Amino acid sequence: MNERLLDVSALELETTDSRALLWWGNLGMMVIEGTMFAMLIATYLYLRVANLDWPPSTVPNPDLTLPTVNLLIMIVSCVPMIIADRAATRGNAAAVRICYALCVLAGIAVLVIRSIVVANLGFKWSDHAYGSVVWVSIGMHTFHTLAATGETLLLLVYSLVKPVVKKTLLDFRCTAVYWYFIVIMWLPFYFIIYVAPLLSRKERF
Amino acid sequence: VTQQEEALQLEKTWAPAAGPFRWLSEISHKHVGMRYIITAFIFFIAGGIEAAFMRWQLAKPEHGFLSPDMYNQIFTMHGTTMMFLFAVPMMEGMAVYFVPLMIGTRDMAFPKLNLYGYYIYLFGGLFLYFMFFINAGPDAGWFSYPPLSGPQFSPGKRIDTWAQMITFTEMSGLIVAIEVIVTAFKMRAPGMSLNRIPLFVWSMIVISFMIVFAMPSVMLDSGFLTLDRLIATHFFNRAEGGDPIFYQHMFWFFGHPEVYIIFIPALGFVSTILTVFTKRRIFGYPVMVASLVFTGFMGFGLWVHHMFVTGLPQLGQSFFTAASMMIAIPTGVQIFCWIATIWRGSLTIRTPLLYVFGFFAIFIIGGMTGVILASVPINAQVHDTYFVVAHLHYVLLGGAFFPLFGAFHFWYPKWTGRMYSEKLGKLAFWLLFIGFNVTFFPMHILGLMGMPRRIYTYQPQLGWGPLNALASGGAVFIALSVAVMLINFRISRRSGAEAGMNPWGADTLEWSLPSPPPNYNFVRLPVVAGPNALWDAAPDQPQVVGVSTEKRQVLVTKVLDAEPDHLEDLPTHSIWPFIVAVTTTFGLIGSIFYAWYFTIGAIVTGAALIGWFWAEARKHAKTDPPVEVPA
Repeated sequence: MNERLLDVSALELETTDSRALLWWGNLGMMVIEGTMFAMLIATYLYLRVANLDWPPSTVPNPDLTLPTVNLLIMIVSCVPMIIADRAATRGNAAAVRICYALCVLAGIAVLVIRSIVVANLGFKWSDHAYGSVVWVSIGMHTFHTLAATGETLLLLVYSLVKPVVKKTLLDFRCTAVYWYFIVIMWLPFYFIIYVAPLLSRKERF
Repeated sequence: VTQQEEALQLEKTWAPAAGPFRWLSEISHKHVGMRYIITAFIFFIAGGIEAAFMRWQLAKPEHGFLSPDMYNQIFTMHGTTMMFLFAVPMMEGMAVYFVPLMIGTRDMAFPKLNLYGYYIYLFGGLFLYFMFFINAGPDAGWFSYPPLSGPQFSPGKRIDTWAQMITFTEMSGLIVAIEVIVTAFKMRAPGMSLNRIPLFVWSMIVISFMIVFAMPSVMLDSGFLTLDRLIATHFFNRAEGGDPIFYQHMFWFFGHPEVYIIFIPALGFVSTILTVFTKRRIFGYPVMVASLVFTGFMGFGLWVHHMFVTGLPQLGQSFFTAASMMIAIPTGVQIFCWIATIWRGSLTIRTPLLYVFGFFAIFIIGGMTGVILASVPINAQVHDTYFVVAHLHYVLLGGAFFPLFGAFHFWYPKWTGRMYSEKLGKLAFWLLFIGFNVTFFPMHILGLMGMPRRIYTYQPQLGWGPLNALASGGAVFIALSVAVMLINFRISRRSGAEAGMNPWGADTLEWSLPSPPPNYNFVRLPVVAGPNALWDAAPDQPQVVGVSTEKRQVLVTKVLDAEPDHLEDLPTHSIWPFIVAVTTTFGLIGSIFYAWYFTIGAIVTGAALIGWFWAEARKHAKTDPPVEVPA
C-alpha cells in the first residue's frame, strides 16, 4: 500500500483559547445580541429625533448617584473576571472559583441596585414612547445581566462538586468574555438613560 | 487498522440515537437538515393551498368563495408561511445537510443546538397554524404594519400570534447562521483554503452573516409590536411620541436582506449545477465570491425602497434609488460569469439544468421590473398594485424556487441512492415554467391597470376579470407540476435506477460518498487540492488519519488556509434540546396571553438549560482527564 496519509493524531485535543469552536459560537451569540442592543440605541435616537419634547417634560431629572455606583461595580467586576480568565488558561481552578464568587456577588449587587433605580425612575413604560424605550432597554440589559450572573454561578457550583476538565476551562473563559460584553454593552445605555437627559435639558433651557 | 475496520468503528460511534426517545434526540446534521427540508416543504404546500384559495376567490369578479375577513387571514398566512416557514428554513435545511458534506467534516459545530433550532422552528410554525385553524390567524399582511396591527385596530390575539411566530423562526434562523459560520470557517478539510470553498458554501456563509445582522432587527421590531399590544408601551403610537414609520424602517432593515437571504443560496445552487452539467469550472470564481459578498453588503442599503410612498425626504429617496440600481451590478456580473461558463462547456441537458435555464429567464424579467420599481416616480404609481405582486413572485419564485427545485433533482440521487425519472422531471419543469408565466405575467398588466394588492374581490366593470381568470388557470399548472415532482420522487425512491456514488460526475466532496451518505460522512477525512475538490484530486490524494473513531471527534482547521489545528469531540444525541425547546415554547406562547408567563417560561427554561449543561459536563467529567490544579 502506498497511500499518502496526513496523520493528525499528534494534534492537541480540545483547546481553551480563541481557536476553539465554542469560542466562536460564543462570539457569534455576542454579535447577535450586540446587534440587538445597537438596534435599541437606534430606536432611542430615532424616537428622539421624532419628538420635540425629549425627554418629556414630565420626566424628572435622573439621579446619577446609584446608577454611577452600579456602573463602577460593573467595571470593577471585570478585574476578578480578567484574573479568572487568565487563571483558566493556566488550569488554576482554585483562583477561578474565588474570582467567580466575587463576580457572582457583584452581579447580584448590580441587579439589586438596578431594581432600586428602576423603581424610582419616576415614569412608566406605558407613560410615553420615552418611557417605553428606556424601560425596554433597561429590561433587556437586566435580563442579560441575570443570565450572565446565573451562568457564572452555575459554573462556580459545578466546579465545586465535579472535576474540572479542559472543557470546563473553556467554559470559564467564554463566560468571562460574555461578562465583559455585558459590561461594555451597558456603557452607551448608561449615557443615554442617565446622562443625556441632563445634557439635552441644559441645551434647551 | 484498515479502512474497513475504521468504518465499522465509526458506524458504532456515530450510530443513530436509540431508545424510546430516539426520534426526539437524533442530532446528526443530515437528519436535522432533512427534517428542515421536509417540514419546510409541508409548509410550502400549505402556503400553496392558501395561494390556490386566493386565486379561486379572484378568478371572477364579485366571487363569494371567501369572506373578506377570511381573505385577509389567508393572504397573510400565505406570505408569512412562504417567507418565514418555507423559504428561509428550506435554505437553512439545505445548508445543514450539505455544508458539512461539502467541506469534508463529520457534523456541524454544535449538533445539539442544531436540533434545538429545528424544534423551535417547528413549534413556531405549528403554533401559527393552530391559531389559524381556530380562526385566530394573523390578518394584517406578512409585514403587519401598525397602526393597522396595533392594539387599536387589531384587538384579539391574531397579531400577537404573528409577532411571536417571528421570534420562533428568527431564533432558529440565527442558530443555523452561527452553525454555518463556525462550521464553514473552522471545520473545513485540510487544504480547503478560503479560495477553494465550493460556491454553494460561500453563498451560505454570506447569508449567515446577513442573518446575524438582519434578524435581530425584526425580532426587536415584532417584540416592540407585542409590547405595544400587551403592556401598552408606545413605540408605534404617534399620540404618545412613538412612530409607526419606525416600524417599517426596522422591518425592512430586516426584510430587504431577507430577500437576499432567500436568493443568495439559490445563486449557490445555480453555480453548483452549472459546473456539473457544463463539465467546466465556473468562470471567474473570485469574482463570483466577491459578487456574493458585495450583494450581502448592499442588501442592507436598500430597505427604504420599500417605503418610497411614506413621505421620506427626497435626498434619502435618491440615495436608495441609486443603491437599488447598484445591486443589479453584482447579480449582472454573476449572470455574465454563468454565460461564460456555459459558452465553452459541453452541456448535458438534464432536469436540474432546465431549472437553471428557467431561473435565467424568469429572474432576469423580475430583475428588470426591480430596476423599474427602484425609480421613485414609477414606484409611487404602481405601489401596492399587482405590478409589485408580479415583480416579487418573479424574483422570489424565479430567483429562489426554480434553482431550489433544480437542486432537489440534482441531489435526489445523493439523498436516496436512486435516480429520478428524467421524463417526469422534465414534464414537471415545463408545467411549472408555463404555469408560472401564465399565472404571474398577467399580474404586471393588472397592476398597470390599477388593480390593488390584498383586495378580496373587484367589480366586473373594472375589466380585470379575464386576466385574473387566466392567472388562476395558470395556478393549476403550478399545482400539477408540484404533484408530478412529488409522484416522481415517490416512485423513483422505490424503483429508480441505482445512483451510485457520483452519477453526475460532479466535483464537490459529497459525491465521493455512498448515497445516502453514512452517519459519519467520511471514513477518512479528505484533503483538498483545488476549488473543484473531486476533479482536482490526485489519484493518490492524501487522506487524514489520526482522528479518533472511538469518539465523535472532528478536526478543527485554521480559518484562512484550513491547516490542521486541533481536535475536538462533538456531543452525542440528547433529549435536552427537545426539552429546552418545549420550555421555550411554553414561555413564548404563554406570554402573549398573560405577561407573567414570560417570567415563568424564563425560569423553567433556565432550569432546563442547567440540565442540558450538567448532562453534557458529566459526560466529559467521566471521559476527559482532570486538569492539574496548582496549589
